[in-house]
Amino acid sequence: MLKWKDRGTTKNLQEVIVGRCYNYITAQHPELGDKDCLKIWESLKDAFIYKNPCNITPEDYQPLMELASHPIPCNKSLFWSKTNDLVHRYTKSNQNFLTLEDTLLGYMADRVSWCGDPSAPGINYESCPKRNECESNPGSVFWKMASKMFAEAACGVVQVMLNGSVEAGAFRSSSIFGSIEIFNLDPDKVTEVHIWLMQNIGGPQSESCSGQSIQRLINILEERNFKIICEDNYRPVQLLQCVHSPDHTDCRLCTNSSAIP
Amino acid sequence: MMSLFFPLLFVSVLCMNSFSAVQGKKWKGEGTTQNLESIVIGRCYEYIRLVNPAVGEKNCSQIWEAFKNAFINKDPCNILPEDYELFINITFHTIPPNKSLFWENNQLLVTSLAARGRRYMSVGDTLFGFLADFLIWCGQADSPGLDYESCPTMAECENNAVDSFWRIASVTYAKHSSGVVQVLLNGSAEGGAYPQPGFFADYEIPNFQKDKISQVVIWVVDDIEGPDRDSCGTNSVKTLETRLKTLGFDVTCTDNYKSVMFLLCLDYPDHSKCAFASSAPAAQRGPISSDRGGSWNKLMFVSFAGFLFRFALVY
Repeated sequence: MLKWKDRGTTKNLQEVIVGRCYNYITAQHPELGDKDCLKIWESLKDAFIYKNPCNITPEDYQPLMELASHPIPCNKSLFWSKTNDLVHRYTKSNQNFLTLEDTLLGYMADRVSWCGDPSAPGINYESCPKRNECESNPGSVFWKMASKMFAEAACGVVQVMLNGSVEAGAFRSSSIFGSIEIFNLDPDKVTEVHIWLMQNIGGPQSESCSGQSIQRLINILEERNFKIICEDNYRPVQLLQCVHSPDHTDCRLCTNSSAIP
Repeated sequence: MMSLFFPLLFVSVLCMNSFSAVQGKKWKGEGTTQNLESIVIGRCYEYIRLVNPAVGEKNCSQIWEAFKNAFINKDPCNILPEDYELFINITFHTIPPNKSLFWENNQLLVTSLAARGRRYMSVGDTLFGFLADFLIWCGQADSPGLDYESCPTMAECENNAVDSFWRIASVTYAKHSSGVVQVLLNGSAEGGAYPQPGFFADYEIPNFQKDKISQVVIWVVDDIEGPDRDSCGTNSVKTLETRLKTLGFDVTCTDNYKSVMFLLCLDYPDHSKCAFASSAPAAQRGPISSDRGGSWNKLMFVSFAGFLFRFALVY
């Protein structure tokens, strides 16, 4: 087995993936009842098993992408960058929006890892390549492809949640959002891009809608003919942030039915 | 006419019975969730590998067998909580102190608040609860198969597979809770925030361990647009507070606990109850919108202004 720097394939990957697939279809999205979860697992496995994990190509994942993809309703696509925790707490509480991780493909693959090895048993449970060891590793290739398809499938108004409290800037060209997703939005299908620029409760307020990196993002999107609206601290998401900082001054409610401890 | 009535009634009742027999549905409730085995086993590995690896190694196939054996090959109206004892024993893990969150009539809210066990651990965030949450299952007498067509409801029989499961799950959960325990009640619920009968009243409170629980914190939250039927110190909540105090517990009660208010506000961001006090400066900044016609508008305005100026000069 080759040795790498990142964590290895998740143990019991097959059971987890198959279980998640059935869970998604049966419990949450019965309209996808025709999906074959066992076939989907086989197509994921075939994408990487017995292969050198630095040689993975988008073609390896093509069968999986076709089997697992499904249409996304218009106006519901929610992209994100550097807001992993917050954006997914939001979509769990508000079924009006879908991130990639709320689609079948993203749901199955979220937080698990996998990679193969030319020697038996063909799956490396000890370690997998980090991005800086090789870019064409199973995880990176998967997420780039899934993100591209997620962007291509978007229609109507799309939303993106960015982090206004990171030093490096809310919008970065090196992120998946900045390098893949914005360039795969279809101007014939997508009409508007709404940016939600969220700052941490209590700051820092590194960037806002008038910030430099946001201006860059707006320019790129405008060149592709999208209308853009940017909102600082979009209210419904800020309400969610306040759940865990209810006593912060930024979270004071006007209501006079105050809690008596 | 009357002489035809009873025969007609008799015939139509016969037809209804044979119609439902033709349909094959024994019971009134939804049938077993499809792919139940794959879902339960998948959730088991999901839990031990990703959700809460602290519980250590568990044998998920064995767990599925124990779960299934509790109710297959039996009369689906005669499944007792004890039938799940082996399952409970092999899925058991300790519940961290101060993290228990009991609830009535607000399951989705509890799910958001608990954040998959990171903030609180509700019964649905324990391994045994996680495996079964939102699923339906039942078997049939004299056959090892699961009934995918229909399952009995509570109204049809109390000792059905699902309700008996949640009884023993609730008992176990309460027995192993410690430290400060929280209970979230719905102040707008018909029938009271503290329902009796109810799982909390009948299976959880009686299993609170006095030597393990240091305090019971009650939160009573009304629906944003709901009536304020119950609050701390009134009606059913007063009954609850009295009961717990009589049992010797230290009890606190808070109305409209802020963290939960914010969660409710997610669906009503513009409601008056959800308005932020004006000190939040970021919230005041309005949206910045890019208007592709913007530069054209400026150009037209400047041209028009120029035209007016020249017009004024001439006259």
